[in-house]
Parts: sequence; structure tokens; C-alpha cells
Amino acid sequence: TGAPGHAKRTIPAVSQSSRKLHFSVYGKNNSKVSDGMSTQYPVVDHEFDAVVVGAGGAGLRAAFGLSEAGFNTACVTKLFPTRSHTVAAQGGINAALGNMEGDDWRWHFYDTVKGSDWLGDQDAIHYMTEQAPHAVVELENFGMPFSRTEDGKIYQRAFGGQSLKFGKGGQAHRCCCVADRTGHSLLHTLYGRSLRYDTSYFVEYFALDLLMEDGECKGVIALCMEDGSIHRFRSKNTVIATGGYGRTYFSCTSAHTSTGDGNAMVTRAGLPCQDLEFVQFHPTGIYGAGCLITEGCRGEGGILINSEGERFMERYAPNAKDLASRDVVSRSITIEIREGRGCGPEKDHAYLQLHHLPPQQLATRLPGISETAMIFAGVDVTKEPIPVLPTVHYNMGGIPTNYRGQVITHTTEEGDKVVPGLFACGEAACASVHGANRLGANSLLDLVVFGRACAHTIADICTPGEKLSPLKPNAGEESVANLDKLRFADGNMRTSEIRVNMQKTMQNHAAVFRTGKVLKEGCDKMDAVYQTLDDIKTFDRGIVWNTDLVETLELQNLMLNAVQTINSAEQRQESRGAHSREDFKDRMDELDYAKPLAGQVRKPIEEHWRKHTLSTVDPKTGKVTLKYRPVIDNSLDAEDCAAIPPAIRSY
Amino acid sequence: MQKLITQVSTQLACCCYIRTEAESRSASFKYLRCESGTCIILGHWLLSSQQEQSHQDSAVTRKKDTMLSVLVAKRLVSGVCPKSLRPAVAELVTTRGYKGEAPDDSRGDIIEIPLPPWTEKDGETMDIKRRRLLFQSRKRGMLENCILLSLFAKQYLNTMNEPQLRQYDRLINEPSNDWDIYYWATEAQPVPDVYAGEIMDLLKEFTKNKDQEQRLDAPNLEYLDKGSQ
Repeated sequence: TGAPGHAKRTIPAVSQSSRKLHFSVYGKNNSKVSDGMSTQYPVVDHEFDAVVVGAGGAGLRAAFGLSEAGFNTACVTKLFPTRSHTVAAQGGINAALGNMEGDDWRWHFYDTVKGSDWLGDQDAIHYMTEQAPHAVVELENFGMPFSRTEDGKIYQRAFGGQSLKFGKGGQAHRCCCVADRTGHSLLHTLYGRSLRYDTSYFVEYFALDLLMEDGECKGVIALCMEDGSIHRFRSKNTVIATGGYGRTYFSCTSAHTSTGDGNAMVTRAGLPCQDLEFVQFHPTGIYGAGCLITEGCRGEGGILINSEGERFMERYAPNAKDLASRDVVSRSITIEIREGRGCGPEKDHAYLQLHHLPPQQLATRLPGISETAMIFAGVDVTKEPIPVLPTVHYNMGGIPTNYRGQVITHTTEEGDKVVPGLFACGEAACASVHGANRLGANSLLDLVVFGRACAHTIADICTPGEKLSPLKPNAGEESVANLDKLRFADGNMRTSEIRVNMQKTMQNHAAVFRTGKVLKEGCDKMDAVYQTLDDIKTFDRGIVWNTDLVETLELQNLMLNAVQTINSAEQRQESRGAHSREDFKDRMDELDYAKPLAGQVRKPIEEHWRKHTLSTVDPKTGKVTLKYRPVIDNSLDAEDCAAIPPAIRSY
Repeated sequence: MQKLITQVSTQLACCCYIRTEAESRSASFKYLRCESGTCIILGHWLLSSQQEQSHQDSAVTRKKDTMLSVLVAKRLVSGVCPKSLRPAVAELVTTRGYKGEAPDDSRGDIIEIPLPPWTEKDGETMDIKRRRLLFQSRKRGMLENCILLSLFAKQYLNTMNEPQLRQYDRLINEPSNDWDIYYWATEAQPVPDVYAGEIMDLLKEFTKNKDQEQRLDAPNLEYLDKGSQ
């Protein structure tokens, strides 16, 4: 792709017949061919001060920060940086700059803690909301052209869940944006700037696994798609910024690249993932395709109807009707489908009707909707309704880290313990700032603040040019063996079949509204689908640009995420944030916050649910083990920013 | 300024838009579209000054000469146009108002932080090129493009000849903002000259979905499996 920093090589085209191949590596710094592994896959070793996996908003911010601090940094990504899923973000970044009205980051802190339904770690939320204004100003200095007000200050718009004065002062206007391409601008700016500091990009390299030795992370092993060579990136510091895993579901708003690769790498390394049961749903995505249909449709008069043609929202929310809050609408649609009033041949979605609106209004106020509906659903919105379904939108859970971006494990005796050499940021991580539910426009903020935090933490504990500890000559062998096995897999079930089985199971059993019985069935079904991975069949035996192989590796990664998600959901017997249980409708905290606290006895952690789930999987059997970890309730500085004690969450 | 006046008076009929992209080293134009649908190119004046500045590193000079803000552009046009030619509504048009108010975009990042230019890969056989373009069609920045381009690739990629493959390669790999490709395909925004051609036309036609098929998802890859056919 012509990106600078890519090692120059002369390599003969890898043909399928000659699998014993050696080749010379010329060019940049410290790449050398390794003989310690299989001779069928040429392996190139690189040494860097830091390796970042993923080049979205968080990955680029980390790579840029590290390069700026003088670290020889590699960024390994399966996509060209400006094509990461961050580019889809059109909303903005929240920051308490106070340009539209008086503002205070402590109010933003309050909104985020409340939005997380008190599952967020308040030290991380303190860090994020306090750093937000600095982060935005910093981005502006890097060249991000935020939209401006008439006086030249950064324009800030309103967004859901943002209030003034701890919820008592009305709507806050905190969301900064670059017209409607904030995500793209973020990527473009960070990528461009990082190149000036000589960051090495390895584009279209698929990261396979972490190189762990004695509980310490020593790097990453990856497949180069362009020529099928294997690369080991050795480093004292590895940052995972691989994004979410929406693709475990049949219907999601995410691109096909959101496959939870980082979460899976961490799981295979024997480390836990946190809070994977918390998956955010947006009420109206196009059925199947999942493309988002904006709430603005319902704002303009669009209505949701069931198979009987009834405007069912009148029953669930008599006042707000179709404009009730997102989770209420999502739950209502799900109940209608569950009770047999779903639309379509499989009765598995609802209809969003717009054809009762004047065509002129549709054309001027909602032009994009008409196009999207025609392109992806084959529907003419002036004549027919659009099939819609609550759609997976974001993963609050991920790799557990502290507020400095360091990946942690947890034991009851020792508490939180840092995993040396491993960091995570962005949607892949769980710091946890979003807790059980994420507020809009907090995600882009999360990316830049924690991307930067990882860079700062690494700069604090390491110096550039430090010598690397030795690595076993055959480190990463199992990853290559797995790759080879999948490349020649000749079972009975195709990748696409297994994938759709997984997606339908998740969609039917771990969607918006969950019940114990349905979840348990789902866990059993998911286990069965997991076992079918052993019987997988791929068809492309090549090694150069083998999309079939990459999609199969991604399927393996998705499965690990799926089993943890559904098992964690089945175990959590309460409703909190995005996880809502029909059979356990209330939040179960250590105290009953709906009643006066005086005289109540605090429940021990085993008896309540205000705690983080830590899940691990045995990759061979697919068996999930769950542990729990307390929520961090104190802010970084009690005097500067008082922690918010839990309360009943109402808006 | 002389050049600008000549432009305005002789080229009212043309309606092409070329984006302001330092990375493609092309001319930077802005256009104003007026109610009647005609537009005015404020082109060559900017092009020559950008070429002069292209070797200088000074961001300040570049900013002054190439960042013709909409406000200045409006004033220029009103200044040079006789009343009869003055556009009724001179505003940079965004046809996607449904996404909410989109305040003006100065594109400062794109102008001042040029990315390395895209270059064609040499020494690639057609077969390898197809395999690469397949991966790059299926893995995009947002869902809409993932579905659209992977369906398009399923239909056309294996029958494209070499010049077509190269056109497609450039179309899906050079633009930095994936949304741009979507807006061109859905005709929400005009296609820049550098991407116009046979493949873009095919893509636009394909996007219209005249057969009204249900495009629920990117197709599974097994259509490529010759063994199963």
C-alpha cells in the first residue's frame, strides 16, 4: 500500500507447491529470518520498543504517543488505518470545555457514572472525564478541524445522557465534532502525524496471537497477507486496540471487521475478559443488514408496527410511544417478536412504517433513509415498511485494564495484578468507563484518552532502546500450527455455516431481553456450535491473500467471544444497564438503594451483583469459567472529585 | 483574480466537483451549487497557488492560499458575478441533512496533513490482484460499504479485465474516507473526475438495486469454491 516504514523486501511469489521456502529480507532495521520454527512457513523476527495491534482511533493514538516519546513503535493492523471501523463514527467527542454554557468535568463524571449503572470504575471515569478537555485541545493542536461557533470556539452539541449540575441543570452541550466525519478526521490526523515520527506500519498483517512467556507478554505473532509470511514482533510493550466483536450476532451495526481478535488473543493466552455480557443494542437497525436507521425517522413521524399492523408502542409507552428511550423500544420490539407477532416469513422482526408520511417530507428530511432502505432491504419506503430489529451496536466489555491502560488479572487474595508488558485501549479494553451501558459520544473520547494513557504509562516505566529479554526460538509455534490446520481443513461444515449458527444462536438467546431458560438453552446450543469448529471445512488452500483463511481465523476469535458473552449473561441474575433479565428485573446491589440506607446490612460480594465478571475459556473444550471482581468506587482524588455513591438510575 | 472572472463567465454549465486533497496532489477546487442546479468553479486560481506552495513547508502560507473558506468564496462570487449570474443560494451543499446539523467542514486536516500518496502495486499478477481486491472489498470501514462492495465484488470482480481491475483498485484504496465511496455510489455526492469511469458507473448502477433484491449481508465466500460447483 505504499505506506512508509514497511520493510522493503525482494520475495519470490509464494506458490502453493513449494512450501519449503527461504527468502532474504533486506531493508529496514532489525528484521531477520528465523530458523527456529517450521520451515514450511518462513518466519521473520522484528524487534521494537512497542507494538500496537490495531490502527483505529485508540491504536493510532497510542502509536503516535509512543513514537512522539521516542519509542521505536510498530503498528500491526489488518486494515489500512483510515479504513478502521472508527471511520464510521459520525457523532463526536464529549468534553467539558464549557463553550456553549458553563460546564464542569465533574458533571460529565457524574453523567458517565450514572450512565454505567454504577458498574463503571470511578477512578477510570475520573481520569477520562478530567482529561477530556485536554485531549480535545490536544487533538485540535494536532490539526483536527473541529467545527466552530461564530466566535471561533469549538462548537459543542447536545447528546443523550449529558446533563449539567449533576443531573439537575438540564441538557448539557458537550459533544465536539468535525462536521459529520469526526471518526475519519481522527484517523486521518493521527495517522498523518504519527508518520512524521517514523512509526512503522505493518498494514494488512493479521495478528494471530500474543507471545507470552512466564506470564509476561513479549510480543505478537502475525500473518502477512501479502505474501503469507509469518512475523514475530518482539517487544517489551504490546498494546491491544483491536475493537469490538459485534459480528458474533446476526444483526449488528458494525463492519465485518469487528471480530474481537484482541479479546480472543488474550483468552487464548489464559487471561480473563471482563463484562462481556454487556452488549449495547440500538432499537432500529435494518433487519439482517444491520445498518443503522436513525432515531430521526421516528422523530419525523415514523411508527413501529407488528405483524397485525398494530402500532404496538402505544401499549408499552402510552405517552412517548415510538419516541420512548432506546432500551424501552428495544425491549418492546423483542417482546412482540417473542409473543408471535413478528413480521416476515420467519416472524423475526418488526416493521418501521414511513409510507404514511408525505413523500416530499421523506425526500427532504430523510433522504438517506430512502436510499439505505432500497439498497439494503429492497424496499421502497414510499410504499412499504422497512424491516427492523434491535441491533448490536457496541461492546462495553473487553480486556480488563486499570485506569493507566495496563491489562490486569485478579485473585481474591491479592486483588488486581498487572500483566507485565501488556496494555489495552479502546473498545477492546474494559477500563471500565462504560460499565453496564455506554453514553453516546463517550466512545471516541475513550479511544483518545486511553490510547494516550497507554503511551504515557509505557513512557513512565520504560525507556526507548531497552534490551529485550530472550524469547524461546519456537515461540508462537502453536499459532502457526493452528493456521496450517485451518488452511487445509477438510471437515463437513463450511465456515459460513458455523458462523451463521453462532450468530443465530446469539441473536435468539442473548439478545435484548434475556430469561434464564432461554439463556441456558443458548449456552448449550453455543457449546454445540463451538464443538463443530473441529469439523470445519475451508476451500482456499493458498497462502497469499487468502480471505477464506482470514475469515476462518476471525470465526475462531468470534466464537471465543460468543461463549463468554452468553455464559456470563446466563449467570448474571439481575438487570443492570444493557443486560436486562425478564426473570430478574431489578438491580441487585450490596444495599437496596431504593430504600433508606440507615439500618441496612451490606451484602458480601458473593450475594450481590454490583461486580465485574471475569471470564476465561479453555480453547480446546470451549468451557467457560467465571469469576468476579469488585467495582472500583473511589475516584482518583476524593477532594478534587467526590465519588458518586450508587442510587436508583432514572432519567 | 482575472482568471477567476473568466472562469465564472464562461463555465456556468459545468457541474464537476474535485475534492480538496493534498494527498492526491490534484487541483483543489470548491464549488458552489445554486438553486437552479448550475455551479461555479473557483478553480484554477487555487491550483496555481497550491502548485507554487507545494514545495514549501510553511503551513501558514499554504493555509492562506489554499483554504478558501466558504465565506470568502461567497463574497468573491457575489463580487465578480453580475446580478443575473449570481447564484440564488450560494452554499456548500450537503445532501445528507438527515444525519443532523453538520456544521461546515474546513477540511483543514486533509489539507495540512497530507498522507503518503497511494501508488499502484507493481509486479502483481492479475490473479493475485483479484485475491487482494476481494479481501479489500470485504473488509471496509463501515457496514454499508462492507455489504455493497462485497456484493459488487461477487458480481463483477472475477470478470474484470486488467484496466478495470486497476480502476477498481484505485477506487477502493485511494480515498481516505470510506464514506466518500458510499456517497459516490449512492449518488449523494458527485464523483470526482479521477474516479469516474466504467467501474464507477457499474458500481452506481449496481447500488441502485433495480431488481430490489434483499441485500441482508455480505455474501459467504463459498461462491468462489470451484470444487463445490
